[in-house]
Order: sequence, then C-alpha cells, then structure tokens
Amino acid sequence: MPTEVRRLHRWSAPFIAAGTIRVLMLPIIGAVLASGGVLLSRLDLLSVLFVVPACVYAFITQRVYTYRFTEHELVVRDGLLTRNVRHVSYERIHNVALVRNPIHRMLGVATARVETAAGGKPEALLRVISLEAAEELRRYTLGEERTAASTDSAETTGEATPTLQIPDRELVRLGLISNRGFLVVATFLGAASQGQWWDQDWFTEQDWSGIFAGVQARAPGWVGWLFDSQTVVSKVFLGLAVLLLLLVVIRVLSMAWYLVRYRGFTLHQQGEDLRADYGLWPAVSSVIPAHRIQLVTISASLLHRWFRRASIDVETAGSTDSDSGLGAASGTASTRQWLAPIIEIERAHELVRKVLPEVALDGLEWKPIEARAARRIVNRIAIAVTPITLGIAALFTLAPIPVSGWQALWLPPVVLTTAWLAARQWVRRTGYSLSECAIYFRSGWIGRQVTAVRFVNMQTVSMNQSPFDHRKRMASVAVDTAGAGSTGHRIHIPFLDVAVAEGILSRLYEETRRTEFRW
Amino acid sequence: MGDREQKAGDFDQAEARTAAAGPRAVPSLVDGEHHPVDRRTVKVARIIGFSVVLLISIVPLILFTIGWAVGAVPGPVYLSVLGIWLLLLASSLLIAYRWPAARHRHLRYLVEEDGLCIRRGVFWRTVIWIPITRVQHTDVSQGPVQRRLGLGTLTVHTAGTAGASISLAGLEQGIASRLSHHLRPARATDAN
Repeated sequence: MPTEVRRLHRWSAPFIAAGTIRVLMLPIIGAVLASGGVLLSRLDLLSVLFVVPACVYAFITQRVYTYRFTEHELVVRDGLLTRNVRHVSYERIHNVALVRNPIHRMLGVATARVETAAGGKPEALLRVISLEAAEELRRYTLGEERTAASTDSAETTGEATPTLQIPDRELVRLGLISNRGFLVVATFLGAASQGQWWDQDWFTEQDWSGIFAGVQARAPGWVGWLFDSQTVVSKVFLGLAVLLLLLVVIRVLSMAWYLVRYRGFTLHQQGEDLRADYGLWPAVSSVIPAHRIQLVTISASLLHRWFRRASIDVETAGSTDSDSGLGAASGTASTRQWLAPIIEIERAHELVRKVLPEVALDGLEWKPIEARAARRIVNRIAIAVTPITLGIAALFTLAPIPVSGWQALWLPPVVLTTAWLAARQWVRRTGYSLSECAIYFRSGWIGRQVTAVRFVNMQTVSMNQSPFDHRKRMASVAVDTAGAGSTGHRIHIPFLDVAVAEGILSRLYEETRRTEFRW
Repeated sequence: MGDREQKAGDFDQAEARTAAAGPRAVPSLVDGEHHPVDRRTVKVARIIGFSVVLLISIVPLILFTIGWAVGAVPGPVYLSVLGIWLLLLASSLLIAYRWPAARHRHLRYLVEEDGLCIRRGVFWRTVIWIPITRVQHTDVSQGPVQRRLGLGTLTVHTAGTAGASISLAGLEQGIASRLSHHLRPARATDAN
C-alpha cells in the first residue's frame, strides 16, 4: 500500500544550510587565508558568496524534497530544475542511521541516512525528519520480519538486557590506552598555527621568568633546586617532569574525547540486527546489520593487554561511517565501525559469537606460517640498514664532532639482533585457521590482531608471489571482501609454502563455489 | 547509456555468430586447461606501446631541434642530447617490444564449470579464483585496435573491493562473449 507523500520537517532548512556550509567550510577557510584575513572583515562578501546560496538551496530543498513508501521501495524525489526520482528497494537497504546532535535533540528531529550495499554516498539523506517519521522510515525500510522484531524489541526495550554496555570507567580506561589525545593536541596546534585568533604577542609579552620566580618562591625547596641548579640531573628531572605532564595531559584529553564520543555505548539486539547507541555529541544511533558484516577484527595493543582488554571492529558492506554526515557526503568514509571500542578479552569472543554465530574464535587450531619467514624479514631490514649505516658513518666522519665514523658500525648488529628476536616472535604468533564456515588470520607480536571472514562473505581468493617469494618457494594468500576499507587488518596470510598456499587457495575456492553470497 | 547499448549490440552480434556456428562446432570452454589468451594481443600491446613511446619521445626532440635551429641550443649539446634521446628511445622500444610477449607468456586462464581462474604476472605473480556465485555482472569491451583484430576484453565484476573488477584482455571476441555468458549468475546462464 503506497503511503502519501512525506516531506522533510519544517525545521529542515537550517539543518540543510548548516550542512552545506560545513561542506563549504574548506573553501571558505581557503578563501579567508588566501585573502590574508581581509575577507574576515568583509563578512558581507563572505555571506553573499557562501551563506546566501546555502540558505536559498536549503529552502528550495526543503520544499522539493519528498519521499514516500510503496510496497517494495522507497521513492525519493528531489530537485527543482533537474528533477530526480530515485527508487530504492527495501531489500537493498541495510542501514538507516540516525544522527542527532544537541540541536537535533532540542527540536526532536534527526538526520536519517538510508544506506545500501552500493557504498559511497547514502542512497537517501533525509535532513531532517521528526522522530516519528524516522521510526516510520525504519519500520518500512528494514522489512517485514525486521519490523516485527524491532517493534517487539521496542516494547521490551526497557527490560531487554543490552548485548553490550560500556560504563564510563571503561571509557576512561580506553582513553588511557589509546593515543586519541595526540590527535586532539595536533588539531589544536594545527588550528593555532593557522589563525590569528590566539594572540602570540600576549604569549611573548608575558613575564615568564617572573612567573617562574613566583612559582619557585611558593613551591617547596626541592622544586627551587630543580630550577636553580644547573646540574645534568636537575635538567633530566625537569625534562622528565615536562614529558610526564604532557603525557598526562594527552591521556586526560583522550579520556575526555572518548567520554564525549562514546558515552553510554550500548549494543542492542534488534531482530537479526544490532543497534549501537552512543555519544554525547553527536548522539549516534546506528543499525549494524549483523548479516551484512563482512569481516570482524579483534585488536589488542600492548596497553590493551595490560588491562586485559581488546577492541572489536567490523566491516559492513556498503555502509558508511555512521557518525559523520560529512564523510558520507565525500564518499571516502571507512566501512569499519566499532562493535565494541573496549571489552574484556574474555568477553570479546563471546560477543563475536553472539553476533556471528558461525565465528568461534576460541578453541581454534592455529596453523603457523613458515618459520624461515623470520630470516626474510631480517634480510629486508638488513637491506634497509646498510645505506642508513653508511650514511651515518659518512655524517660522523664529515661532521665536526669528536665521534669516529666507525662508531656507526654498532648500528647493524644492534638493529639486526633486535630485528631477529622481534621477527621470530612475530612469525611465531602469526598464523591462520580454517573452520567449518570461516577463515581466521592472526598477526602481530606487541600489538595483536585476529580477523575472521565467513566463507559466505568471501568474494575472490588469490595467491600472490613477489620475486623473493618465488625464489624461496613461498606465496601469500589473500581474501577479498565487500566493503573493505583501505586500512585495517584483513585476511592476507604472508610467508606460506607454495604447496600450502595452493592448498588453502583450492579449499577457499571450493567454499566460495558452493556458497551463495548474500547481501 | 548509448555507449552501453552499442556494446550490447556488438555483444548480441557476437552471440548470434557463435550460435550460428552451432553448438557442436564450438568446443566447450570448460576443458581443464590453462589457456593463453590470443597471441595477437601481443601485437595489440606492441602497437599501443610503440605509439605511446613515440608520442612521448617526439615532443622533447622537436623542442630541442627548434632550439638548435634557432640557435638557443649549441651544436655539441644538441648532438649529445640527440645521442641520449636515441639511446632512451631504443631501450623504450625494446621494452615495448619484449614486455607484451613476456606478459602474454605468463597469462593463463582456466574455465571451470562454476568459476574462472586467472594467473598472471611476470615478476609479481598472482593466481586469482573467481567463483560464479560471486559474479555481479560482466562486461565485454573492444578498443579500436582490438576491434580490427577481432579481440575483446572481458571484465568480471564482483562485490569485492580489491577484486571489484577483474579484466582479462586479449580474448578472441567470440570466446570473450561466451565466457561472459558462462560466468553470469545462474538466471542468466539458464538461457543457454
């Protein structure tokens, strides 16, 4: 039964305008910088160039953008001069992401992104609709059985225990583990170095020695000694203290960042899908279609392991990064998203199994890669080390320093011994496993990652040989999946014996041959 | 859109020709053999390679000759440049001549009942398996030189990322069409 034509919310225009201006931000900043800041004083010009067109566009869009639900598809009409009608079959839609920042919440609206497996841009971007309309959209697009499931869960949401809930202290821990703070600092410094808005004169005009003197006068004696004495020890102490302070600041920023972005992270089972709600700003509510997960990775850095934690991320076909409308618009968004930014190692396997029942990460029989791979890794490093050593030797000899060029010869043995030890550890902990319905690959020594891909999600399988591989009778095996990002851990098993690689290849082909790929 | 229709037209013609030849006249594609692509593809690649090399190298030669004629480039400099240019041209032409043959030698395809295997690569070697169950759609295209020689390029599209589209160039057009038909997902092969 086709519904009537639906329009965007009456508060849409400002959101559309804001979105457009956000996209235009880069050109605006570019124009302001190019004009040497003169444009900043010509706000009238700026607004005529950017703001007015954005607003006109927003008003027109709000008027002409309509959508309606037919029996099988969502029909979106858009455009004033160039009219566009798009039919999106419900079957192909696999995510309806709602993005809400505080302003959205104040007005009780949401930006809805309708995503299909096609990837890149969302099939439809409804900016903005009311919450009831969003609920209706989800009900229609996510299909009959999923509708029933989601209404069911909607009724029982209060009682239903979420699949995963991340308390604040875990997010604090995550902040401690991760290096997000560096990013915050870098962003700040980048912004500071660009604009005139922070007054450098103020900074240089301050009486810094006076401030230091004041601090010294009030501080206990040993602090004074630190600043006064010119010994090496005090300088080292001072340096360490500054470093420590910096680290603490960065970690605190990390924690703050995670608390803002992932506050109240909850994962609900919703029919066959998962729904992740998180974040203070922006508040994100995103559906992760469990059957469209192509790949799952569990990662644990050294710090993660110290805290006995890991993180889980998944790649879903075609879905774009759910929390940034901008990324989706530019079509470069990653398809990776957190299933759990932080989770106890013991519970990680359990969660993966709950989401993908065929994927059982515990009790796997891991097969190693070739032990002689370590030698090849060291060889590679040796090739890199030779010119570096020669360079340093030349530098030491030529530079007016009392160090002989021969000192550089310490470098190769030290680097190569370390490399040898590290490579052996890496090779020992890198391996693969094949189960009834999935392939697993793990790698890494200090930071470890395990990736699993179900056979139904494999696309093509390939075996690759570099000239070196060829000489050593080795090969690597790679599995291609839909929606694979350019970064991130994936199934790429290096340093296999050719015969073993061929065996894996034919087994994997056999598996893809007899299974259908489902979107 | 028109382009696509054009291609479809070519394709249908090729299809009609293979049909006219009769089903018994055409040996099955699935024969368990690793086939090389048509040898004439080496010729195509050489023609293209030579044209590119000549086009790129002719521009600096003309510039230097003009410079010499005008008197901006002294005679000895011009002569040495000419020597280097000839050397570079000769080596580029040699590569443009040898490389297609080497590539052809290392390119093999195997057709299975339910998939296609391609091995290729002179230095960096790859064996890739494409099961029909993962084929989204297929293209058969022909460049101008290919058209004169009756060759075509088959492109297989999957939902993957690195292997989203896999091309096999230099097939005889008839084989390319048949292979494209063979590889299309179940409901398309029903028509066969």
